[in-house]
Amino acid sequence: MEIQIKGLTKLYHSEGKTIKALDDVNLTIGDNTIFTLLGPSGCGKTTLLRSIVGLENPDFGEISIGDEIVWSKEKNIFIPPEKRGLGMVFQTYAIWPHMNVFDNVGYPLQNQGLPKSEIKQRVAETLKLVQLEGFENRPATKLSGGQQQRVALARALVARPKVILFDEPLSNLDAKLREETRKELRTFLCGLGITAIYVTHDRIEALALSDIIAVMRAGKVVEMGSPKKIYFNSDHKFVADFIGRANLIEGTITECTSHHATLKTAIGDIIGINNHHLSVGQNAIMCIRPEFITLAHTQTSHEKNIFKGVMENLVFIGEAYEGDIKIGDTLLTTTIEPTENIHDGSEIFISFSSEYCFIIAS
Amino acid sequence: MTQKSLLTPSLILMVGLLTICPVFMLVLGSFMDGFGTYEGFTLSKYVTAYTDPGLKDILFNTLIFTLGSASVATILALFLAYMNTRTNIPFKFLFKVISIIPMMIPHILFCVSWALLLNPSNGILNKLLIDIFGLSASPFNIYSLSGMILVEGLLDLPIAYLIIAPAMNSFDVSLEESSKVCGASNLQTLLRITLPVLRPAILASAILVIVRSLASFAVPSVLGIPGRIYVLPTHIYRMISTGFEPDYGQASAIGMSALAASVVLIYLYRYLTKESSRYVTISGRGFKPTLIDLKTYKYPLFTVVGILSFILIILPVIVLLYTSFVPYSMVPSFKAFSMMSLKHWHSVLVDPISLLSLKNSLILGVGGATIGIVLSIFVAYVIVKVRTRAAGVLESLSFLSFSFPGIVIGLGFMWVFVQTPLYGTLWTLLIGYIATYLPYGIRPLSSAFIQIHDSLEESSRVSGAGALTTMRRIVIPLLIPGVVSGWILMATMFVRELTLSVVLSRPGSEVLAVQILRFSEDGMWGQLSALGIIMIGISSSLVIGVTFIGNKFSRIHAS
Repeated sequence: MEIQIKGLTKLYHSEGKTIKALDDVNLTIGDNTIFTLLGPSGCGKTTLLRSIVGLENPDFGEISIGDEIVWSKEKNIFIPPEKRGLGMVFQTYAIWPHMNVFDNVGYPLQNQGLPKSEIKQRVAETLKLVQLEGFENRPATKLSGGQQQRVALARALVARPKVILFDEPLSNLDAKLREETRKELRTFLCGLGITAIYVTHDRIEALALSDIIAVMRAGKVVEMGSPKKIYFNSDHKFVADFIGRANLIEGTITECTSHHATLKTAIGDIIGINNHHLSVGQNAIMCIRPEFITLAHTQTSHEKNIFKGVMENLVFIGEAYEGDIKIGDTLLTTTIEPTENIHDGSEIFISFSSEYCFIIAS
Repeated sequence: MTQKSLLTPSLILMVGLLTICPVFMLVLGSFMDGFGTYEGFTLSKYVTAYTDPGLKDILFNTLIFTLGSASVATILALFLAYMNTRTNIPFKFLFKVISIIPMMIPHILFCVSWALLLNPSNGILNKLLIDIFGLSASPFNIYSLSGMILVEGLLDLPIAYLIIAPAMNSFDVSLEESSKVCGASNLQTLLRITLPVLRPAILASAILVIVRSLASFAVPSVLGIPGRIYVLPTHIYRMISTGFEPDYGQASAIGMSALAASVVLIYLYRYLTKESSRYVTISGRGFKPTLIDLKTYKYPLFTVVGILSFILIILPVIVLLYTSFVPYSMVPSFKAFSMMSLKHWHSVLVDPISLLSLKNSLILGVGGATIGIVLSIFVAYVIVKVRTRAAGVLESLSFLSFSFPGIVIGLGFMWVFVQTPLYGTLWTLLIGYIATYLPYGIRPLSSAFIQIHDSLEESSRVSGAGALTTMRRIVIPLLIPGVVSGWILMATMFVRELTLSVVLSRPGSEVLAVQILRFSEDGMWGQLSALGIIMIGISSSLVIGVTFIGNKFSRIHAS
């Protein structure tokens, strides 16, 4: 089911000031995609999600799910949440403590007034799907965090909703369980073939789960695209920095080819991808991810993007070394193979491929 | 939308009338010459009241009484809380019992049972000791300041425990552990780390007990008056009940100082409890503190706890039960048991005033708690869920009555009702009860509303349930436990209410506790005990019955 959002604005008034929680958001979420709203806390991602479900009343704009307009300021349409036919997993899971697992999961079906035998069968099926077979009579208060999360998922799925929404559902799990559940959830959602909207502030979660990521800041969608596009080729400095660790070096463009450009920076000339077709003389930022910086033990003069620096703040973290390379006054963060024989103060040469660094307008 | 915006102001008006109105009328009344007429502004009541040469002794008694009972209650509570949370003392369930059950035994009966045991002329325990040791006089006199302090301290022990135990429980144990690593012994750690860190909770408990004992009427009237030891509440009571001409103006003038002291103390208490939540660090890791092994002290210390729970819970009931069957006060012996009869029970059950007070207290308990809980539901909803600035005002208003000494606020209500047709009817008691005990209903309901996190309702809406279904299947079942415990608290408080009632009760509107006080004043211990046992029976069956109904109700609605 496709979701269309047009000109959505939500204002909050607090202590005499007006804050735009959502600022003219326009989005189309395609059918059968896992769509993630990513951003720092307070960026409006949860407000957007709650507006789609109907728990929040925006001030301007229009939301439609499939062919149906569910909310429109102009046309004065407001379909209450219970009539929108959606499923949602809450951050706190919102498992009703006075009911057992069966009643929690069967609740949406009971509200549809289905016959008891059918409810029983469909609850059993759904519990099997989330690997909680036979948990029907367990009291809700006797569930572990991971089990609660599965019950919440089962409840969101049981009525076969058009769209399923997730509000940071993994943030209450411990690190190991979170990683496992993330993988399972991706496989699970792909298998269902359902439109899913997922809110998170965790960049790894967003990258691992999504088909499309929308990065938000201050009530606006800053950038939207596939995880690879967002990671390797972001259009905005904020997005490049938010989605992963990045060395951002400022400079001026001195030379352009069809795809690449040379940026004159404090550490020297760097060649990188120029997707935004910036022209000579413009100020720009070079984004280099730490994992693409490699060591070169001697300088081979015919290669580009080779620099000489001194190793600092080297830390061994098991799977790699992490450290800063000081070139002049500039520090570049990098990760180095754990097998390298290297220590603080080592003089080294580094290089990075011009295919994996990209230029952003400043 | 308009309904919602009207809710808060109308509640503020209602609760404001209940709590502010009597105070206002009390102030007004203290400047009036006569009672019931509002003419003739005068300062003479203050002059007479405060130039009374006896006042100095009364204030001194009040000071010693309140400070003494605060010390007794707080030290005992500290001991019990430490034993429960930090040591391997056996039978820990007893601690929970100690903290809850004494609330079910009406204070006046607790006092009476101590009077029966330790009064100087024929106290059962005194007589027993005289017989055993061949003494010439009674070794103990409960009709003394120290007797009053002991009994009041025991009565307020549960409150002190309920403040200190959670603080002790949420205490970050690593503070103690690091002290031990630094070479301090258990005792040194207790004195130099644990107690100082718990200081805000200890002070809060002491202040609350001071407020309670300042408002206490049962102990000063049952144990103080026979020994001619007067404190502020009994001094006020003396002015309005004895002599040919009760002087309500003068009583109000004296009441003003009790009220002022109480309000100041409660503000101090609220300030301290705000501080303490910042002060006491709560360990988020949920580590269970390592329990201190008491070794050889284990059972001796447990004996102390055991004796305490015996004194608090079992002894009063046994003494009353025994007294209700024997013809006059006598030491338990074969002779005493052979003379047992139902004489006192019979005379109580045919006494029209006792029966009337029984009926009135039941009506007030069931009816008052029901009306009170309905009001509490709305107030708690606004306080927890609406949370505007006006809701904050409502919260302060509704907890204000906590700080009012019962007898003083009873005087205030007297001034409110004296010129209305309600004067002398059960309605005055009903309104007074609800106003004074509203916090008892709001507390459990607020925590119930807090428990109903918004997402529990929202997830129901998303699951296809409308507002009504959500109310019926999610909100109400989750509220039931709060409603039940609020109702029980209010109903048991109302059934045993004494301090307001001694002022407001008039012929025709007698209630149980007042009738028991009359019996005690007349020394009719047998009838008193029989009526007291009936009173405990009513309270207990209300508790059991409503718990049962509540359980059943929430089960039906959940599925």
